[in-house]
Amino acid sequence: MATKTIRVEYLTRVEGEGALDLEVNDGRVSSVQLNIFEPPRFFEAFLRGRGYTETPDIVARICGICPIAYQMSAVHAIENAFGVAVDGQLRALRRLIYCGEWIESHSLHVIMLHAPDFLGFPDAIQMAREHGDVVRNGLALKKAGNELMRVLGGREIHPVNVKAGGFYRVPSRAELAPVAESLARAHELAVSLVRWVAAFQFPQFERDYEFVALRHPDEYPFNEGRLVSNRDIDIDIADYETQFEERHVAHSTALHSLVKRRGAYLVGPLARYALNFDRLPASVQALAREAGLGPVCRNPFQSIIVRALEIVYACEEARRLIAAYEPPSLAAVAFTPRAGTGVGCTEAPRGICWHRYDFDTEGTIQMARIVPPTSQNQPSIEADLAAVATSVLDQPDEFIRGRCEQTIRNYDPCISCSAHFLKLSVHRT
Amino acid sequence: MTGTGDQAIALRKVLVIGLGNTDRGDDAVGARVAQDLLGSLPADVPVIARRGDMLSLIEDWDGYDALVCVDAAAPLEGPGRIHRIDLRAGALPKGISLTSSHAWGLAQAIELARTLHLAPREIIVYAIEGGSFEPGAALTPAVAAAARVVAERILAEVHRLRYDSIEEVSDA
Repeated sequence: MATKTIRVEYLTRVEGEGALDLEVNDGRVSSVQLNIFEPPRFFEAFLRGRGYTETPDIVARICGICPIAYQMSAVHAIENAFGVAVDGQLRALRRLIYCGEWIESHSLHVIMLHAPDFLGFPDAIQMAREHGDVVRNGLALKKAGNELMRVLGGREIHPVNVKAGGFYRVPSRAELAPVAESLARAHELAVSLVRWVAAFQFPQFERDYEFVALRHPDEYPFNEGRLVSNRDIDIDIADYETQFEERHVAHSTALHSLVKRRGAYLVGPLARYALNFDRLPASVQALAREAGLGPVCRNPFQSIIVRALEIVYACEEARRLIAAYEPPSLAAVAFTPRAGTGVGCTEAPRGICWHRYDFDTEGTIQMARIVPPTSQNQPSIEADLAAVATSVLDQPDEFIRGRCEQTIRNYDPCISCSAHFLKLSVHRT
Repeated sequence: MTGTGDQAIALRKVLVIGLGNTDRGDDAVGARVAQDLLGSLPADVPVIARRGDMLSLIEDWDGYDALVCVDAAAPLEGPGRIHRIDLRAGALPKGISLTSSHAWGLAQAIELARTLHLAPREIIVYAIEGGSFEPGAALTPAVAAAARVVAERILAEVHRLRYDSIEEVSDA
C-alpha cells in the first residue's frame, strides 16, 4: 500500500493561523484536515456579565477586517431582544458602513491575497512588479472603503461609533460629499477589476453546494432578511439553531457548522450571489454576464469574480445611499432594556455572522453565542479540498500544495475570527 | 524649529510612525515612543501610532519625503537591543522579524510601496527587540529604557531628515 502525505505547515495570504494535512492511500484522498491552531479566543465567555452598551465595541475586536459584521449582528440582536426598530436614515447609514467594509475587505482579498494564485506569483509584491497599475488601483479601492468606515465609524479598524439604536454621531451631508467623490472613482476601478479577474484561467471544477444566505424582499442583503438555502431552508433568523448545528473536531480550535441531518453548506459571496442574483441592480447583472457568469456560480475558483462584482455593487449602493442621505434628527433611537433573548444575523464579507444573546432586566448579557462565517464554511472547504486534490493527484506535490492553498483562499477564510483556523500536509500510503 | 528661517529652506516633509499593540507587552514599544515624542517634534512633523492594518500605512505616508518607523522586533540578541535600519541601503535585513500575525506586516507594506513607487524616498526603521509579548503586560524595563533612547535619537533624526543633511546617525 502506497501512502503519501502532503503538508502545508503554515498557510499564507489568509487571516490567522492554520495548516492542512492531506492523506493519500492507493491513489485516493483518504483524509483532509484543515487544522486551525489559532488559539481559542473565548469572546462568548468575555461577554457574559457585560452590558448591552459595551457589546458592539467588544465584538468589534473579534476581527480587524470585518468588525462591522460583528457590530451589526450584535446591535440587531440587542434591538431584537429589547423590541427596538431602527429605520429610515439610520438604517440606511448601517447599510452604508457595511458597504465600506465589503469594499475594503473584498479589495484586500481579491487583489492582494487571491489574484497572485491565478497569475503564478508568490505574493502581491511580486505581482506588483508586472501589474503595478492593478495593485495601485486595489490600494485605491481599499482606501475608498476605509474612508467610508472612518467617516461613519470614527476609524477604519474596530470602529467606535456604532451603538444599539443607531450611532453615537451621524455625519453631515458635507462630510459625505468627498466620500461620494472617492466612491465614483472606486466604482470605475471596481468595474475594471471585474473585467481583469474574469480573464483569469479557472480550473474546471464545480460542486453541488447547499448555499445559505440572507434574502430580503427588495435588497441584496447586508443586515436583514430570512435565512434561505437552495435546498428548501427558508426560516426566520431566530430559528437558526433548529436547522444548523456546531460540532467540535479534534483537529481544529474552530467549531464545524453543519445543516442538521444533511452536512456541509456554503456561506459567503457565491451563496449570496446564487440566492440573490435577482436582487442585484441590472447594471451589476449585466456586468456578471459580461464576465461569463450566469445567475448561479458553482465554481469556487470563480468566487474572485463574484467578490469583484460585490465591490461594484457596494460602490453603487453606497453612492445611492449618500445621494439620498438626509441627516436624521437623532443619532440613535431611545429605548429601555428588558429581560429576553435577541438574535441578529448579517452578511459579513465572508458570509452570514449569527449572534444570540440572553439579557437580564438591566440589559446585562447572561449568555452569548456567536457563529462566524469561516467556521460555517470549514466542512465545505475540506470537501472542496478532497475533490480538488483528487483531480490533481497525478501532479507533483508542489503543484498539489499550491492548488490546495488556492482552494482554501477561494473562501477568504478569516481564521482569527473562526478560532473558533493554515500549514498543508499530504500523506500518501 | 519652525521659524521663518526654516520656511525659507523648503524643509522636507517628515512623518514619524510608532507601531504596535499596546495590550501585548513589549509590542507596545513603538506606540510608547510615539507617545513620548508628542509635543517634542516640530509642528510640521506629525507623529502617529498605528496597530493592525499595516497596508493602510501606505496611505499614511503618502506625500512625505522621509519616514521614521519604530516597531518591536522578535528577540535576537536581547530585550532592549536597538537596531537602526536605513532602507536607502536596501530591504529590511532577514534577521530582523517585523512580521505580523496577519497577512501584511511593516516589511511587506514597505516593500510593496517601494515596488509601486509609493514610498517616501528615505525610510529609517528603528526596531527594538522585545522580551515579553504577553497580553496585558507592561513594557519590560530594558525595553522601556530603550524607548526613551530611541525617542531622543528620533529627535536628532528628524532634524537631519528635515534639512536633508548628509550627517549620519550612528548605529547603536
